Amino acid sequence: MPKILCSVSTKGRYLTTLPLTIQAIINQTRPVDKLIVFDDNDNPEDMRNVLQYQHFFKMLDIHNIPWEWVFAEKKGQHHNHQKANLMGYDWVWRVDDDAIPKPTVLENLSKHIADDVGAIGGGILTPPLTFDSSKVTGLIENIDREPNIQWNYINEVKYVEHLHCSFLYRAGVADYNLKLSKVAHREETLFTYQLHKKGYHVMVVPNADTWHLKNPNGGIRSEPNQELYEQDERLFKNMLEYRHKNIVVLNCGMGDHVVFSEILPLIKNPEVFTCYPEIVPGKSIAEAQHLFGDIDQYNIYKKMDIWKWKESIGEAFRKLYL
Amino acid sequence: MIIISPYSKQLINGKQNPKNYPFWKELLSLISEPVIQVGIEGEEQLTEDFRKDLTVIELRELINQCRIWVSCDSFFQHLAWQQKKMGVVLWSVSDPNIFGHPENINLLKDRNNLVQNQFLWWEFVEHKSEYFVSPQEVIKHLNWN
Repeated sequence: MPKILCSVSTKGRYLTTLPLTIQAIINQTRPVDKLIVFDDNDNPEDMRNVLQYQHFFKMLDIHNIPWEWVFAEKKGQHHNHQKANLMGYDWVWRVDDDAIPKPTVLENLSKHIADDVGAIGGGILTPPLTFDSSKVTGLIENIDREPNIQWNYINEVKYVEHLHCSFLYRAGVADYNLKLSKVAHREETLFTYQLHKKGYHVMVVPNADTWHLKNPNGGIRSEPNQELYEQDERLFKNMLEYRHKNIVVLNCGMGDHVVFSEILPLIKNPEVFTCYPEIVPGKSIAEAQHLFGDIDQYNIYKKMDIWKWKESIGEAFRKLYL
Repeated sequence: MIIISPYSKQLINGKQNPKNYPFWKELLSLISEPVIQVGIEGEEQLTEDFRKDLTVIELRELINQCRIWVSCDSFFQHLAWQQKKMGVVLWSVSDPNIFGHPENINLLKDRNNLVQNQFLWWEFVEHKSEYFVSPQEVIKHLNWN
């Protein structure tokens, strides 16, 4: 059975929706293998002193569910989710701190785990629930023209290109874009679309509904700086513009470029950003940073470190790009 | 003709790159055929014929002309491999299983000398001459074709 980490990133919701979220996680029919809460509050408090949290921690202990409360770096929830992404679990169930999953959500999401699946989402019931979700495509190119397919009940399994809010995903395959601002606007859309681009199915499934009544207080909406949203939106639009390309960023050594050049012909429709255009032609690394923000996800040395790599660097490039 | 590429990239901290072979002079004294050194301006000249700052195209042409080459773990070993001209790579702390090519002769004295994390900067790794094979060991392999 795959190991599933449940990751919650929270800010400004200690005594409003976060307790509802944690209670719902504890009451899942398919227990999580660990719960980690990233506390992104500006002035974090010790929840061990609060009665309902004392009860939560006791319930988790009684259920033998390991849990961890992390005082996070206040850089935004994408940084927290990326940490969860790399904690060595097979799958991560990310749950927003104002989301209340029904008891069978994880059980029903995890029924769809398969080798070719990257992310699985259910309904994120966001009133008024009035649109017809059967007509929603879930394609990234339609993101500004249609409601999110998850904002209503899901009646059948459907393959989409992006998910939102809370979902179960294959860990360690895609990366969160850490150059997004602390409001992390579009972070989950960018993340799940990366899973799709890497060739994994991204899907919505029925009978896995999560209440998302939206807490007007706390969370990313507590940040009033509109420029941060605009900056994130620019990165998102750039990604959309290049969505038909396979982005290659060679922020590595000269010899690495030589090795990579043997693999380049195997990549369909590449858009290359390079340090050594005399070896691998392409645009500059500075342009990649400007367009996409976070290019660490293409850093082959960082990847090999995370993967604890023992094979050749050529094979590492293949794993990253093919 | 033999090409030697003695030096790996200079470190920012000014210290010697731990991948640089320390016994070039001794090795060269044991070689009786013409040797061309390739590298960049500022590196120590070890042979009469030192060709600095060649372009990638010029390097490829030169590689095609040599009988064999000897290099530390650097860009050169990859370029020569791509030219399908095989040679001898002198290893110390980096792992030939990761950064090398099995078509070459990869001379590593002891895998216990490899740094634990192969993917960090080399700035913090000390250069140790004793981690390299001797010139006598290298010369045994230079007649390989």
